[in-house]
Amino acid sequence: MSSATQEEDELPSNHTGPKGVINDWRRFKLDSVDQTVPQKKRELLRQMSNPREDDKDRSNRKMSAQEYELIQNEDERGLKRYRKQCMQEMHERLSFGPKFECVHELESGEAFLEVIEKEHRLTLVVVHIYQNTVKSCEQLNSCLDCLAMEYPTVKFCRIDAVATGAAERFSSEVVPALLVYKAGELLGNFLAVSKHFSEEFFATDVEAFLNEYGLLPEKEFAACADDEDDAGDVE
Amino acid sequence: MGEMEQLRKEAESLKDQINAARKAVQDTTLQEAAAGVAVVGRVQMKTRKTLRGHLAKIYAMHWATDSKLCVSASQDGKLIVWDSVTTNKVNAIPLKSSWVMTCAYAPSGNLVACGGLDNMCSIYNLKGKDGNVKVMRELAAHTGYLSCCRFISDTEIITSSGDCTCILWDIETGTQKTVYAGHQGDCMSLAVSPDFNFFISGACDFTSKLWDIREGTCRQTFPGHESDVNAIGFFPNGNAVITGSDDTTCKLFDLRADQELITYQDSSVMCGVTSLAPSLSGRLILAGYDDFNVNIWDALKAERVGVLAGHDNRVSCIGVSADGMACCTGSWDSFLKIWN
Repeated sequence: MSSATQEEDELPSNHTGPKGVINDWRRFKLDSVDQTVPQKKRELLRQMSNPREDDKDRSNRKMSAQEYELIQNEDERGLKRYRKQCMQEMHERLSFGPKFECVHELESGEAFLEVIEKEHRLTLVVVHIYQNTVKSCEQLNSCLDCLAMEYPTVKFCRIDAVATGAAERFSSEVVPALLVYKAGELLGNFLAVSKHFSEEFFATDVEAFLNEYGLLPEKEFAACADDEDDAGDVE
Repeated sequence: MGEMEQLRKEAESLKDQINAARKAVQDTTLQEAAAGVAVVGRVQMKTRKTLRGHLAKIYAMHWATDSKLCVSASQDGKLIVWDSVTTNKVNAIPLKSSWVMTCAYAPSGNLVACGGLDNMCSIYNLKGKDGNVKVMRELAAHTGYLSCCRFISDTEIITSSGDCTCILWDIETGTQKTVYAGHQGDCMSLAVSPDFNFFISGACDFTSKLWDIREGTCRQTFPGHESDVNAIGFFPNGNAVITGSDDTTCKLFDLRADQELITYQDSSVMCGVTSLAPSLSGRLILAGYDDFNVNIWDALKAERVGVLAGHDNRVSCIGVSADGMACCTGSWDSFLKIWN
């Protein structure tokens, strides 16, 4: 995409809501192969997409009169291409980041804090707090070993409850405990997570569980189905 | 002193007087009043259903009043009516324009509407005689994009537009009944009061306004945000208004106190709020941000109690069903998810 400078981990502003639609339209116009948009108007679109800080007069009107003139019936093929491009871009943007291969053992409470606070802000960190004597912890550990290989962008870690320095908080009733962090924020907190599973559980069960809470990335980019032009059909 | 200068000073002094009057009646803060209320605790919601069928980013969604059906509008130029229980597509309506910003379901369930960069509000009859869904009316009069629309009934709908006005339409005749002018910036969102007598609009002039639908007048104006107000919603009891803004905060304004009660903000939030939905009780506020994240706020204590769809940010729009049993999120990857 040719658009203005975008840092890899920063989303350009206005992606959602009506302003999101306006910006998507602008990008479509700017990038479209259809060169009928005259040079002056392309410049206008570029300017509107990147408002200058000092441009207070125009700030409360989001679209200029000239831009309204540019709205017309769009080339359907160009639109299809653009939509795919948008989604592809978003997927790439989100899978950027360090990759991991296996479950990391954390040796101490400090290591735990460090991994939560220092990881890349797009990296999901899943920490399993376990106790050696608890059977379901052992099961969960092997499940996480599998998942760690299937989800290389997620950092799976485990730490012995005793090593956390807060062993009294993690008694046998609450382990195995699964904590999910991203960019230093706690997203998910599941104490005694094994109670959600049956006695024997496998990696797919843990995966399904985390997916229910929206906590795992999509495994692969589910490409849009080939267009079905189903106008008004009922299933 | 020139006349403009004088008028400007007068306006400023009036604003100060309003502020002073508001402060004078403020006898407590929401934090103090809610101090004795028990905490909500962490809210973690699960995906119950995934609605697949769109081919591009979901721009907007709206629940029907039966809390079962919902309608979504996507960049793929389609409006889809879903049965959220079975996940079936009840209707797939092709639109003339892909740049749709809003969609709405009529309370009766008979009609849906949408609009966007085409400056028009298109009404579709879902219960046509021969089973086909057709355009019933195209309401054209706005000179700016259609940012939001909400039905009052099968014969009336209110729209907000980038031309800084909102309009009440007579759907039968396709004409404007009332034009609500007063905002100094693009109107971004609107919400109708539970009793259907008022509606509120949020605009790019940093304010929200309460309008009397029948009289056509602006009853109250709520300043306070430091940037565009993108999203707005009524507190379930109709006595308060919640707004979301590009200044990264949400605010709760009480209609009777005529002022802001509390601000929902966090230093870690760095982008604007673009959608919001209160829970049925009003205790929780789901706020959707421009980075596709959703924060769940405790309305009384102004604390974040959870996030939705935590792992990577995908949410482009949200809506809570009328019975409060579920919330629906639309995402940039074309899926809608039902959570509770």
